[in-house]
Amino acid sequence: MATRLLVRRIWAVSVKDSRRLPAAAASLSSSSSSRSSSLSTSVHTRSFLSPSRSLLLSSHRCISFNVQDNDDFTERVINSDLPVLVDFHAQWCGPCKILGPRLEKAVAKQKGRVAMAKVDIDDHTDLAIEYGVSAVPTVIAMRGGDIIDKFVGIKDEDQLDSFVNKLIGQ
Amino acid sequence: MPPVENDNAQIKARLQEFIDSNLVVIFSKSYCPYCKKVKELFKELNVACEAMELDLIENGSSYQDVLMEMTGQKTVPNVFVNKTHVGGCDKTIQAHKDGYLQQLLGAESTAYDYDLIVIGGGSGGLACSKEAAALGKKVMVLDYVVPTPLGTSWGLGGTCVNVGCIPKKLMHQTAMLHTALEDARKFGWEFSEAVNHNWETMKSAVNNYIGSLNWGYRVALRDKNVTYMNSYAEFVEPHKIKATTKRGKEMFHTAAKFVLATGERPRYLGIPGDKEYCITSDDLFYLSYCPGKTLVIGASYVALECGGFLAGLGLDVTIMVRSILLRGFDQDMANRAGDHMETYGIKFIRKFVPIKIEQLEAGTPGRLKVTAKSTETDEIIEGEYNTVLIAVGRDACTGNIGLDKAGVFVNPKNGKIPVNDEEQTNIPHIYAIGDILEGKWELTPVAIQAGRLLARRLFAGSSEKCDYVNVPTTVFTPLEYGSCGLSEEKAIELYGEENLEIFHSLFWPLEYTIPNRDNNRCYAKIICNKLDNERVIGFHYLGPNAGEVTQGFGVAMKCGATKQQLDSTIGIHPTCAEIFTTMEVTKRSGGDIKQTGC
Repeated sequence: MATRLLVRRIWAVSVKDSRRLPAAAASLSSSSSSRSSSLSTSVHTRSFLSPSRSLLLSSHRCISFNVQDNDDFTERVINSDLPVLVDFHAQWCGPCKILGPRLEKAVAKQKGRVAMAKVDIDDHTDLAIEYGVSAVPTVIAMRGGDIIDKFVGIKDEDQLDSFVNKLIGQ
Repeated sequence: MPPVENDNAQIKARLQEFIDSNLVVIFSKSYCPYCKKVKELFKELNVACEAMELDLIENGSSYQDVLMEMTGQKTVPNVFVNKTHVGGCDKTIQAHKDGYLQQLLGAESTAYDYDLIVIGGGSGGLACSKEAAALGKKVMVLDYVVPTPLGTSWGLGGTCVNVGCIPKKLMHQTAMLHTALEDARKFGWEFSEAVNHNWETMKSAVNNYIGSLNWGYRVALRDKNVTYMNSYAEFVEPHKIKATTKRGKEMFHTAAKFVLATGERPRYLGIPGDKEYCITSDDLFYLSYCPGKTLVIGASYVALECGGFLAGLGLDVTIMVRSILLRGFDQDMANRAGDHMETYGIKFIRKFVPIKIEQLEAGTPGRLKVTAKSTETDEIIEGEYNTVLIAVGRDACTGNIGLDKAGVFVNPKNGKIPVNDEEQTNIPHIYAIGDILEGKWELTPVAIQAGRLLARRLFAGSSEKCDYVNVPTTVFTPLEYGSCGLSEEKAIELYGEENLEIFHSLFWPLEYTIPNRDNNRCYAKIICNKLDNERVIGFHYLGPNAGEVTQGFGVAMKCGATKQQLDSTIGIHPTCAEIFTTMEVTKRSGGDIKQTGC
């Protein structure tokens, strides 16, 4: 358990780094996709961590996802075992472009205890209308198919952290 | 008190008409629980009923008095079924129990899915549907954008929001900023020589704004409880439409009443290469690349506005004109706006029509060869352009919505729908508003007004009609042209030249003096009816901020402003609009109209 926590902590740090440095993110993803080559070229600490990191990476990919359609929403949001943040956003919305990455970061910090679903309101208008979205970005926190919390507009990183913490009951 | 009797007679006629034209009529008050109970009864029976809320309409108490006169019943609800007076809540429920109600409703009684179906989610359709829903009606709106031949498509809101007023004015603003940048140096602003425009940035910004408006409309429909379908609607029966989604899924819906608000789409030329290689205004606002050297075909306001702002972005623009500029507008003003465009760097090819468009090279933009023929001689000319924009008029979208199945008369010559002064077609339960109307203004605010008032007449017992007279409007050419009322031509035709006094003046906006541009280009003109106290019947303004200037004078004309009242108004100095308070030179005098000093 202690090692798992340690790995998670290191993972959180490396995610932070990769967000800041696109080049680092690229090398990270390439190291996970072609592990054999990365093993030989990576520095010692990295090769030591890479198997578990790639495992977490794949689970991270599931944790933040774009909703495909209503059925997908039902399956991965309403029926989700994890609490889910639903980010209703639009291509034409400037603030959404700022909030989206911040939200992903806040979710990543929770190390798999919360998922994030992204809904483009122009592609999935019915969903947005059904969930009462009037302006974007609108973020809805759901647990067991119920709406627990909601906010509209931009929030800073600390506010997002506390919003997410509240959802997972911390 | 004779006037009251007169009013009562009118009210009685309105009430009778309302009773006669609806299967079930409930005179009600919005807060009355018994009225609610009766409405619920009819809802259970699945019978559409029309309620007139006497506490929400003007003169509601007079209506109640007349009802007392007609039925001996003063209280509400006051229910009529099939033109027969039934009574209040208890009597109606009793009638239901003993079968009298069913008997009155008749075997053929029809229950519709909706009180109102609006076909077309543009300015008019949305306004009408929201108003009807706010009056408690069950309303559906269907909107569907058929993509252009080049595949351009857009969201909810109709022409104005997506491919008209909104993107047009934002791009006009883009062009005006270019002029402002040039002027700025004269006012002492210093910045590096190179000033470039990025089409992609402008296009994305404009499209993003439109995206937010589309969403706003969708939310407004939800909030007002209007059912919205992104489907193509066509009549299959007089009270039934087929709605087809993008994926081809079909559904059928019925309604007691319909409003047609399908709008218009750009007309093509019907010459080789037009749909394959040319764009229209429907494509221009979503074009992913800068159009480059552009030929605009047509002299409609769409043509002049698009040509104007493209030139303002610094593009090489040519406009090909078959005959006159801005048909239907005051020709003196139209030509002045056109002359200014020439000084602005736009080339005009007059009295030519294109006969063939060929692609020399594909690309973004590519290269096109245009062959055109003189309208007067056999002369043929050729030209090479990156983009050809067709703006030769618009066609009403009335051809493929099954109007024949509903029996609605459409003018076969232009596809327009004639309506009476209450926007009613030849089929009593089908109405039409907006650009598809014959002989009416094609303007968003007119459609909105008509739609809203129509809903109030249909569902709230209102009698107010849309006033299509003295509608102010503005053409956003590089030098903007605002007008209200009659053109000089139309005024002469209606009143005779001898009965008109036309005052006019050139003026030079103060902000143009330091850059020293467009001197003696801006022009103001008012047409007054000498037979009617020199009442202003035509207002024309060519200059900056024409929309802002014209709007207020539109109000004045609605109030019946006369020349004397304009003269006694104090101007605001220094502005452009103040010119209208000091107009002295009449056109017939031939006096000097050049402006000098304060």
